[in-house]
Formats: sequence, structure tokens, C-alpha cells
Amino acid sequence: MNSYWIRRFAGALAVLLLIITANFFLFRVMPGDAVSTIVDPRFSPEAKEKMRHLFGLDLPLHQQFFIYVRRMLSFDFGISFLSQRPVWDEIKSRIPNTLALLGTSLLLSSAIGTWLGVKAARKRGGFLEKAVIFSGSISFSFPSFFVQLVLLLLLAYTFPVFPLRGTVSIPMPSGTLPRVIDYIHHLILPAGSLVLLGFGSWAIYVRNLMVKTLGEDFILLARARGLSEDRIIWNHAFRSTLPPILTIFLLALPGIVSGAVITETVFSLHGVGKFLLDSILGHDYPSAGAAFYILGLLTIASNLAADAACTLADPRIRVGKRAER
Amino acid sequence: MPRWSFAAFFIIVAAAIAGPSLLQTDPFESVARPFAPPVWTGGEEGPALAVSLSPSKTLFEKKWNWSPPENISIRGTLSFEEDPSASLVWTGPGGERFVLAVSGDTREWLIDIDARDVSFKASLGVPPFGNATSVLFRNHENIRVEIEGTTPSAGKIEIRTPGGKWGLMGTDQRGRDVLSLFTEGIRISLIVGLAATLISSALGLLVGLSSGYLGGKIDSFIMRGVDVLLSIPVLPILMVIVGIWGKGLWQLILILGLFSWMGTARTVRSLALTLRESCYVENLRSIGASPWYILWRHLVPEALPVLLAAVTLGVPGAILAEAGLSFLGLSDPRIISWGRMLHEAHGFGAFTAGAWWLILPPGIGISVICLVFLDMGRALEEIADPRLVKGNRK
Amino acid sequence: MICIRDLSVTYDTNARKVRAVREASIDIHHSAVTAIVGESGGGKSSLIYSILGLLPPEATATGKILFEGSDILSAPEATRRDFRGIKVALVTQGAMNSLTPVISVGEQIAETLRTRLGTRRREAAVKASELLEMVGLGPSFAVRFPHELSGGEKQRVVIALAISCSPVFLLADEPTSALDVITQAEIITLLGGMVRETGMGLLLVTHDLPLASSVSDSISVMHQGKIVESGPAEKIMTSPLHPHTRDLVFAANLATGRGFQ
Repeated sequence: MNSYWIRRFAGALAVLLLIITANFFLFRVMPGDAVSTIVDPRFSPEAKEKMRHLFGLDLPLHQQFFIYVRRMLSFDFGISFLSQRPVWDEIKSRIPNTLALLGTSLLLSSAIGTWLGVKAARKRGGFLEKAVIFSGSISFSFPSFFVQLVLLLLLAYTFPVFPLRGTVSIPMPSGTLPRVIDYIHHLILPAGSLVLLGFGSWAIYVRNLMVKTLGEDFILLARARGLSEDRIIWNHAFRSTLPPILTIFLLALPGIVSGAVITETVFSLHGVGKFLLDSILGHDYPSAGAAFYILGLLTIASNLAADAACTLADPRIRVGKRAER
Repeated sequence: MPRWSFAAFFIIVAAAIAGPSLLQTDPFESVARPFAPPVWTGGEEGPALAVSLSPSKTLFEKKWNWSPPENISIRGTLSFEEDPSASLVWTGPGGERFVLAVSGDTREWLIDIDARDVSFKASLGVPPFGNATSVLFRNHENIRVEIEGTTPSAGKIEIRTPGGKWGLMGTDQRGRDVLSLFTEGIRISLIVGLAATLISSALGLLVGLSSGYLGGKIDSFIMRGVDVLLSIPVLPILMVIVGIWGKGLWQLILILGLFSWMGTARTVRSLALTLRESCYVENLRSIGASPWYILWRHLVPEALPVLLAAVTLGVPGAILAEAGLSFLGLSDPRIISWGRMLHEAHGFGAFTAGAWWLILPPGIGISVICLVFLDMGRALEEIADPRLVKGNRK
Repeated sequence: MICIRDLSVTYDTNARKVRAVREASIDIHHSAVTAIVGESGGGKSSLIYSILGLLPPEATATGKILFEGSDILSAPEATRRDFRGIKVALVTQGAMNSLTPVISVGEQIAETLRTRLGTRRREAAVKASELLEMVGLGPSFAVRFPHELSGGEKQRVVIALAISCSPVFLLADEPTSALDVITQAEIITLLGGMVRETGMGLLLVTHDLPLASSVSDSISVMHQGKIVESGPAEKIMTSPLHPHTRDLVFAANLATGRGFQ
């Protein structure tokens, strides 16, 4: 089993390296003056020369690359063009918000979707099953930002139940509990919209996998032993379906990160995704590179986490080592 | 197979091609006040008028079912072939006639009337601080404007009222007609969707066939690469590349095409793997046919039905990606796409104005086109692989 | 004793109706091995599932199945569920996917004991190990997962699961078909031994006539859903009456090298 994990970590490192390399080359190799992506173009020529030397831009390319890798791994992202402050200072307050958004929406949509999918598989041909299949097959076509805009229109403008924008109210309420409530109040619409958009495909996947599993022989034998239907559905069928469900989860993760970028833009949330967009539109290359890197790290980390969950759920992977003895 | 999506597809393509020319308005021209709601929404405000009178059309009549507009302006020039004796006559509520203007001595008749002019108000018998339009218009009565007398030979006069409402879908933050913008957007969505998907499918076909047919180390290497590429979030990459490389339409299509070939490659590869083992390919190999010949003359035609289905199913992805990038503001502002419309709705105050007619049409348009392509793709899949059709399963 | 009278099972799919079992009647006795022999797809499995009440929704069963004085075919689902595992148990081909892949073998047995018999957790674990020993698997097997076991080992686990609640009757549907010859013999011997020791009644359903004849007390031959001949095993093998039975015996003798009889 250790060799399995070594391979996983090596794979993750490879992707990380790929992201850093892409970052490095993208901002230097793209058309346009490579210098201006590192150095603020508003500086005087002498200052630019100085910056060049400071940033090591007069060094050979492979040396620059190693320096870049080292900086990335130590979260040293340089100075933002727009705010003249260290990029890390700008970005570190945003990471928790993005995590909160991603975490809650992921948890809720997978939980709701799984529950609905299991129920739909249990009662074949029922209304729930048809509703699940229908919503799952069309949820792909609706652009996420459109649904979110409509929700904003309905629930923040027509019926002002939720705030129109922002992570917190300005000015912030005083006291810990009101602040927490305010934060949650602002999170409900963004996270809720992601859940609404996501639970359909979850439900369909889970339903399809469960239907397939319920046709297997071991379910028949479990019934023949007289086990209760609940026990069969959850302890036997669902637990056996968990590994493929988690695999699909793995495949969906990059899409979820992309969804976060759009959601943060629609609702003007103080997160890494919106920071990426603002830096790109403002030609603030150090910030853009940093934001892209952080998002990549998030993807890799969640990938590994899902992988770990997969291993835990599937004894066929976990128990490989015992058979080797 | 008569499925609704094929019919819908033809309607959409027809609308894309013919639409802009059928609608008279230029999508870039502002025709009414910003954020004017559509005409058919209820309320007291009347629609904006934008009517012209010309030699071929000397009369305009309308039943006015709303309260009088804030203002009316009539401007233009008419030329005559002989010394004119013409007047611009307005017939208002109760059949009252008002002579708004009379032609002069010259053969060029310049008309410049604005209902806020004090002198104009005086000519109608309205005090300086009164409202001229309330004399000319009344709720649920006809209005009528006509060039009486000598018929002009050339020229045009424009009658404009800044109405509350406009058209079938209202106006955006610049006063542009949303229906025209919407119709323009169909073209862009189709172009981007099809072009990007064609590129990605061509790439996917190439990679998939090579990988599946050649097999071995090349295959696993390529598939590893595909897996790695699939585990990177796509939108941030697209954002960064567009941000650096530029926002043009063709750049967008190229970038989208370059980042979505992986799915097709996988499908084609599994097809190639099965075909590789099939008897007739074995036979071809045994008589000495070269790999390229086999690929080109046999495998590609076999792959075409599956490929067609994959292409059709890939178009929604490209359309949604373009819409997403446009919504974020990373597209050419001079090109009207539905995503761009939503970007402007979001960023330029559609919410504070409550302009739902700016938000719903583009979004619904995107969704409908995606649904159409999805359904067509599934239909094509069933044709390509009959085992998928529900009734046929053993 | 289980008495099946005029059992008919019809499958109603979209395309057509299929009569899998036609007015079959058979008795299954305690302390004896009753075999039903017939070609694949001949309705043998449908008969077994009728007894247990596990037919798929598109199947309808008519007739009578008498057990302990009442007709269980027409009993409500709750009653039928009470029978399963406790009175009547099922064994199918273990080499396929007959065991839940994500739960350890010992835990699957213990779970059955806890939920069906109300056994305490620790007791159930001990009993599970005992059951595994009974079917010839050592104590180390309790923590193993199905994918770690061979076909024969999996089949033994399936049997252990089936007898865990000491059922009165055991229904075995092709229990040895996917196994190699030696393991087949071992499994059949195991089952036969159980019948003699515990007084359990065994219904053995198979397409393998020599196998059935080696262990059964009576054999019924099923052909196209009908029971065409029944009788003591010895008699069926030496003097078959029905043409289909004759064909089967002929083929069996060829296979076992007993020559043309």
C-alpha cells in the first residue's frame, strides 16, 4: 500500500510542478514585453534596469526557473502592481473565504445529491426517480452564472431576503455572534446556488450506480438472509457504491474550482477566484500568477483528500498489502 | 427520427442567419432610454416612439393607450421638386387638428420641433410651464401625423418620444434594443460553439486514434498526459491565457479548442482499441497495409458516427465556456455575445434598475441552445450505437 | 417438509410473456437431499426464488407452496421476510459477486446473527468464527475481504452465511458450477454432511446430473418448466422413463465413462 501512496504523491507533485512551470512560462513567453509582466511598466528606464537585476531577469532562463520554483514553494509572490503591497498579504485574507464557499457547497450538494440518488434508486419508476433523472439531465445546460443572477434578482432584489453582494456587511456588526451570522447570511445565496446547480448531477450518478449495484448477486443473497431493506440499501448497496462515487467526485473537483471563480464574481465575494479575475483585468501579473497557483494547490489538495477517502472506502485498495504477505 | 431538437436546431440556424436583417434596428444603436422595459409589460408608461415620415410614408397613425410621454421631438429635412405648399398636421384627441409646421419658401423644408420649446407650447395654447404632450396625446385615443399638401420627393423626418417602454425585450444600459442584441448573440454562440468543437474534435480524433491504434508505451504516456490535463481546473487557465494573449474572438475559439479535446480523445481511443482487435483490421495488416492507410481509409470512417455524436455533445461545453469567459469580462467588447450581455447586465446596474429583461433572454438562450445540442447529440449517439436505445436492450 | 403444488411462474416483459415454470409439484423433505436437474434457463432458479419470495417484480407466481401448514406463496411480505434466513436459506454461486465486497467476511456473518437472532456483538463474532470453521475455513479468515478469497473459499463463506441461523431448509442454486472438480466434490461433501448431521433439508438445483446423483436421495428432472420425472436417485439413474431423462442419463454416463447404458 505504501507504494500506492508514493505513486499518488509523486503524481500530485508532478501536477504541482506542471502548474508552476505553466505559470512561469505563460507570463514570460506570451506575446508582449516579458519584462512588463514582472516589472511595473510605469517605472522609469533606470528603475526598470534595477528591477531587472533585482528580479534576476538578466540571469539565464533555467536559473530564473529554479529561483521561481523556490519562491513559489515558499509563498513569496512579490509585490502587486495595483496595490504596491506584497501579494501574499492581499491573498491570505481571501483563502479562507474561498475555502468556506467550496467546502460548504461541496458538502451540501454531495450529501443532498447522494441521499436523493439512493432514494431514487430504491423506488424505481417513482416520481422522485423521474424528477432526479430530469433535473440531472438538464442541469448541465444552464450556465451557472445565469442561475445565480436569476436567484440574485429574485431573492436579493425583488424580495430583499439576502444581500446583493459581498462577503460581509459594511460596516461589520460588532460582536462575534452577529459577525458569524452576518457571514453566514452572505454565504447562503452563493453556496446555495452552487448546491442547487450541483446536486442534480450527483443524484443522477448515485442513482445510476446504485441501480447497477442493486442488481448484483450479493444484494439478492442479503435479501435471502432476511436483512431489512434499510440495512441492505445503506450498509450493503451504498457502501459498495461508495468507491465509484468518490472516483467521480475526484473527476468533478476541477470543475468545482472553476465554479467558485464565477460565483465569487457574481456575488462580489472576497475570495481567491475574484482576485484572479481582478488581477488579470488589471494586468497585475504577480497577483494573477499567485492566485492561479493557490487555486491549483487547492485542486491538488482536494484531489489527494478524495483519493484518501477512496482508499478508506474500498478495501480492495486498502487491503492490498495483506495479500502480498 | 423526428425529434424536437433537430427542428429547433434548424430554427436557431435560420434565426442566426436571417434574424439580424429581418430586424430593422442596428444592435449598436441606442434607440430609447436606458433600461426601458418591454412594451408588453403593463403600466402607465407608453412605449418609445421612433417613427419616420418620408416621401413613401407620409402618414403615421396609432392608438395611444397610455399616459402622455414626457416629450416629443420631430426632426428632419424634406426636399421638394417644386415650390412646396405643405404642412405637418397632428390630429389629436377628439379630432382636434394642430398644424405643427408649415413649409417655407425654399425647396428644402427643415423641421425641428421639440415639445419643450416655449414657442411651440405657445402655438398649441399651452402656458410656458405646461405640458405640450398632454394636449397632443390622451389615453386610449388615436394620434395621427401627416404631411399634407405637396408630396415631398426626398428626405425624412424622425418622430421620437422618449417612451418608458421599447420593443419586445426592452433596452440595455445604453438604450440598445435587446432583441437585436439577442439575435446577434445567436450567431456568435453558434460560431464559437461549432468552431471550437471542430478544432477540439479534430485534435481528439488525431490523439485518440493514434493512442488507441498504436498502443503500448505511447498509449499509456498519452493517457497519463490526458489524466493530468483533466485534473487542472480549466477556467482559471483559460482566464490567464485570454488575459495575456488578448480578447479577440478567434483567439478565444482557438484556446477553447485546445483545451477540450480530451474527452473526444478518450472516446475515440476506446473505439480504436476495439477496432484494432477486430478481424478485418487483422486481415488488412496481414496483407501488408500500412498503419496510415488503415487509419485513414478504415478507422476514420468507422469512427465518424461516434465522432459526430461526440462533437454535438461537445458544443454545449464550448458555448458555456465562451459564455463564462464573456461573463467575466474576458471577451471582445465589440462583439455581442450572450455571455457579454450578462456581463454588462451584472456590471452596469441591471440589478439596481431591476431590468430582468436584460438577464433572462441571454441566459435562457444559452440554456436552450445547449439543451438542443445535448438532445441532438443523444439522438446521434443512439443512431451510432443502437444498444443505447431503451427498448432494444436484451 | 415443503410441498410445492402446481407452481407456475410467468415473466411479463415488455416484449412478451414467458412461462418459466409450468405447474411444477415437488416435495422437499427434512434430513434428505432433493435434487432438481435440468438445462440452464429451464426455470429451476425461478422455482427457488418462488419459495423465498424473491421473484423480480415482472414475475407472477401461482399455485401453492405449503410450509409448516400454511401456504407461504400467498402470505404477506412481512411474513415471508421472517422465513428468510431463519427457516429457509439460499446458497448461490459464490465465485461470482455473492458477497458484499466492502465488508469483511466475518462481519457479514456476525451481522446476520446480530440482526436476525439478536445475538450480542461479542457472541456473534465468536459464533461467526465457529461457523467459518464448520465450513472448513480457519480463524484468520474472519477479517478477510471477499476479493482476497478463492472461488472455493468464497463458496464456503456463502454456505456459512446460509446456515448461520440454523435454517430448516437450505436451497442451493448451482452451488458448484463455477468451481473446479476437486473443490466441487469438497463442497458437495460438506453440504451432504450437514444434512446428515443437522437434519436440515437440502434442495439442490443443478444441471450436472452425475453430481446430483452422487449425493441426492431423490431426483426430479425439469424440462421446459415442467417436472417430467421424479423418483429415488438410484431408480432415475438406472431406469429412466421420460425421453428427456433418458437423454440426460445417457450424456451423464458418457461423461463419467460408464459407457452406453
